[in-house]
Amino acid sequence: MIAASKKTRQLVSIMAAGSAIAIAGAALARAPFTEQELEQQMDSLYAAAQQGYDIWHGSLPSTTTNGLACANCHPDTAASNPQTFPKYMTMYGKVVPWQEMVNWCIENPQLGTRLDPNSDEMTAMKAYAMYLHRGKPIEPGLASRQTTPVVVEFGTGFKREPTGLGIDTREYQP
Amino acid sequence: MADLENKSRRDFLSFAGKAGLTTLVAQAVGVNLGVVDIVRAQTGIRGVEPFRFAIISDAHLYSIDNHKFDEQLIAAVAQVNAMNPKPDFVLFGGDVAQNGTEDQLVKGKKILSALEMPMKVIPGEHDWYLDMGEAWRGLFGDETWSFDHKGVHFIGLNSILVKDFWTGAGLSPKERMTVMEMLESPIPGPWGVHEKQLEWLANDVKNLAPDTPVVVFTHSPLWDYYPRWNFQTSDAPEIREILAKFDNVMSYHGHVHQTLYNRIGNMSSVAAMSTSWPWPYPPVALAYPETQMNRADPSIATDGQGTQVIDLSGDFEGLVQYKPFEDSLTPFMKDGFKV
Repeated sequence: MIAASKKTRQLVSIMAAGSAIAIAGAALARAPFTEQELEQQMDSLYAAAQQGYDIWHGSLPSTTTNGLACANCHPDTAASNPQTFPKYMTMYGKVVPWQEMVNWCIENPQLGTRLDPNSDEMTAMKAYAMYLHRGKPIEPGLASRQTTPVVVEFGTGFKREPTGLGIDTREYQP
Repeated sequence: MADLENKSRRDFLSFAGKAGLTTLVAQAVGVNLGVVDIVRAQTGIRGVEPFRFAIISDAHLYSIDNHKFDEQLIAAVAQVNAMNPKPDFVLFGGDVAQNGTEDQLVKGKKILSALEMPMKVIPGEHDWYLDMGEAWRGLFGDETWSFDHKGVHFIGLNSILVKDFWTGAGLSPKERMTVMEMLESPIPGPWGVHEKQLEWLANDVKNLAPDTPVVVFTHSPLWDYYPRWNFQTSDAPEIREILAKFDNVMSYHGHVHQTLYNRIGNMSSVAAMSTSWPWPYPPVALAYPETQMNRADPSIATDGQGTQVIDLSGDFEGLVQYKPFEDSLTPFMKDGFKV
């Protein structure tokens, strides 16, 4: 009897959830994004990646007191392994998110001041690193494992106006 | 796992030693080897007097006083001075400075002057592009050189020359330097030794016999590893062509900040660890993946860095040993390998 009533409660709650989704679906239904809107959304992502790229290469003075930036050790975000976090890091003795690992590098090898993990700056760095690891399998892993980013053939690796200097003249083709 | 590593190590060593072994077997059964090989059988290749030399590379010194990279270069110098037996000389593989400023180059020269043996230096891009090598030349001399030591011909080349991207754009020296400082810079493109040095090289080796032991030393590797990061030298094919007449050429280089071996034709190629920071292996497959070092642990500030020492034998075989500051080597690499 007790078991039956538990089952009933579960059933009721599942049904309730289902109808809630149906109602929400109806309320939020809208036309798909236009091509133009999709392009704007991607451009916002590229703008964030650009900001992340700049910080990665030392544009934020608060993140270093010894001249070092992320790019010293992580060209093209290599070995930053964003798709393997959260994972166990020996320096913390526990599982931490990627943003915390970035702050560890800012505070230790770079002797800088940590960023708010929820700041636009940190989000921009993650946007850059994740974009350069697009298509890589999400593999929560061990600290000793090094993965690689995508092969970058030219430019910064994301959509950006080329500088026109040297060989930097090619438009990005997603 | 240990068995696997040992097996792979044996295969690798036997591959590296194959040429020498073939010669020995051929001699034992009395095959006619021709004049050159008979001379070699009697005296070793051109009679090299065995010796060792060390390589220190990629110090990337900043202008800040008491920077950790200063201490790391000091540690490398102490490590080489303490080697027993002592190396006859030291090669420095470029990038003594980070931003090419005179104070950084002077600081590097001062730290390196504590070496108890002679030193030969080639430049890296970080030394060069603020003043196009002016301060570097004043401190370290010519960037293109050769000398003979105990029967071995050593050649140094400046491999970091790029096409002028700055004059037309009106960039300042500092802007030019900033562009060149970035490993994955989208602007400069592939660098190389360029025409003048190729001519110099052809002339330098013109009168050397094919059995001359040759060591060539550059900042960047003389093969296409990962051009995006200038893990290449654009005219390496021309360099290899000029050196193709030699029985055995050893190439040593800096720039990649990691342990690495490759072989193309008659040339073996060995990378130097840096004294500053380790670089990750790029997203390409290696011909000899067993020569990779462990992924550096970021919580150990000097992991994945160190020096290297090479012992040359009487028949011009090299025993390469990496000497990391920390325990950075896989079991495969711990005892060194032969080239």
